[in-house]
Amino acid sequence: MPQSTDTQPLRVPRPPTSDPPWVRRGLIALAVLFLASFVLLPLVLVFAEALRHGLGAFVDALVEPDALAAIRLTLLVAAIAIPANLVFGVAAAWAIAKFQFPGKQILITLIDLPFSVSPVVAGLIYLLMFGAQGWLGPWLDEHDIQIVFAVPGIVLATIFVTFPFIARELIPLMAEQGSDDEQAALSLGASGWRTFIAVTLPNIRWALLYGVLLCTARAMGEFGAVSILSGHIRGLTNTLPLHVEILYNEYNFAAAFAVASLLALLALVTLGLKSALEWRLDSERGAAGRRE
Amino acid sequence: MDIRIENLCKRFGNTHALDQVNLSLQSGELVALLGPSGSGKTTLLRSIAGLEFPDSGRILFNGNDALHLTVQQRRIGFVFQHYALFAHMNVLDNVAFGLRCKPRRERMSRAAMREHAQALLDTVQLSELGQRYPHQLSGGQRQRVALARAMAIDPTLLLLDEPFGALDAKVRGELRAWLRRIHDETGYTTLFVTHDQEEAIELADRIVVFNQGHIEQVGTPDEVYDQPCNAFVFDFLGRGNRIHGEFSADGFIPRGTELRLPARHAAGEGHILVRPHDYSLADAGQGLNGRVRSRRRIGGRITLELDVEHQPEVIELDLPYDLGPSAPQNGEHIGVVPTRYHVLD
Repeated sequence: MPQSTDTQPLRVPRPPTSDPPWVRRGLIALAVLFLASFVLLPLVLVFAEALRHGLGAFVDALVEPDALAAIRLTLLVAAIAIPANLVFGVAAAWAIAKFQFPGKQILITLIDLPFSVSPVVAGLIYLLMFGAQGWLGPWLDEHDIQIVFAVPGIVLATIFVTFPFIARELIPLMAEQGSDDEQAALSLGASGWRTFIAVTLPNIRWALLYGVLLCTARAMGEFGAVSILSGHIRGLTNTLPLHVEILYNEYNFAAAFAVASLLALLALVTLGLKSALEWRLDSERGAAGRRE
Repeated sequence: MDIRIENLCKRFGNTHALDQVNLSLQSGELVALLGPSGSGKTTLLRSIAGLEFPDSGRILFNGNDALHLTVQQRRIGFVFQHYALFAHMNVLDNVAFGLRCKPRRERMSRAAMREHAQALLDTVQLSELGQRYPHQLSGGQRQRVALARAMAIDPTLLLLDEPFGALDAKVRGELRAWLRRIHDETGYTTLFVTHDQEEAIELADRIVVFNQGHIEQVGTPDEVYDQPCNAFVFDFLGRGNRIHGEFSADGFIPRGTELRLPARHAAGEGHILVRPHDYSLADAGQGLNGRVRSRRRIGGRITLELDVEHQPEVIELDLPYDLGPSAPQNGEHIGVVPTRYHVLD
């Protein structure tokens, strides 16, 4: 007897890439629980502790001269390290993405070095080079140049720790874009400089901004390398993270948390900007993808 | 502008991208550089533009040495295979880019630039799209913007690298006719690279057949198609087959036939080259004996594939469509005789 097939319920096996509901819910719950207890809770606690003794105490901790000096120093270091890395990052990414030369792979590996080396080691290296007992120590001493336990040392350490951020963002993008756009601009009569300003920079602007953002966050938050090179001189060579440590070691918890909340706030702002930029970057990449 | 290229050589490692290339282009010509991929066509184009530097040889623009000129000084309109439009500029700004890059004393006013760019957009029939961004355009439209942008600098020469390579077949056909029209209107000396022989034949005044870094043949489309100078050119410019047989003092005798085709060639085993449309039908048992293996109709022609006795290759044969029912059927035995053929090794 002929049977109409559409009345029979179709037995379909589970699609190969989906999991049963309990697995899905379990995984989501685990992730949420983990994030809540290890990320969200501490963050909330920082702000709660900072404000425990009222807004007045909070503000007092921030406007106290040593805290202000730490904020100023942190901003100064960032203001030097970021432009330096901007120039280095663009130059390195350009060289790697658009030229073929021997030793290119080594250069790429070297750029990644700060990611894999502990910042403390980086700090020690600079100490070895510029410290009183270091290679260049006597010479620097003779010429009265102070690097270690002074602002220049902190800047150097920060540059070292943050220099991969911008280059790393740019290299894959520039490699993917190739140099057709630049060649087109040159053939239309543009000078090298104009090509860079009018064609190359706009092509990489969002990735560049993204790299600068990550670089800024890290530059302001760096602890290990800076800690070794700073010498912890209050009001002179203390950055924000170091200032938090000192306050904490002095059992001045309220002030420590107040300053820490400043760093936490910076992290939140960075996160917000980062999401916005990622969204921009994605739509840009999408546009680039549609170009082909 | 007249272009002359003399003994141009360029090596990448061990490969000769350009090997003693000699070529001249007359002012106003539309010339196709045709060859398989990797044959050095693009290298030649880029050398002329100043984006690549040859190892030796000369490039002359109107008789003057051009090799010492920078890419900017050569003022060549280069259209890239993937258009290379500036993604962050709208169409009008893309087209006007070359105008904005001129030295201050030659630069026109902003209004004049806009007007000029708009006129170019009119020429390429994209008048309404000036405010759009490249990613909002179709492939064919982008190609036209790229051409308008290249023409904005009033180029001494237009170079197009695989201009239709990234487009689908239908758009490609439309753009070909359109490019020919633009060329006739503007009269720019144009050299374009392609690996599509149909494109070259349909579009170009002259075709330069390129292979492994050197020029095989230069001529009008009819010349290179009808009188190929060697087997490579024959194969590259269209379909065709080799009929094997024996050369003797009286001509060529295809294997296993009584045919005697006039040919000049040293005596011995050999082959002739025949295009699918250069056969006439004969009764079974006459000429080459073939059995129809398949029969397809493509547009206005019927294409047969024949298994021919004593011949190693399947022979392709085109017949006019209006042969109707009298056209040979699948499995039928027929005789065919080559009417035109080439004796090339």
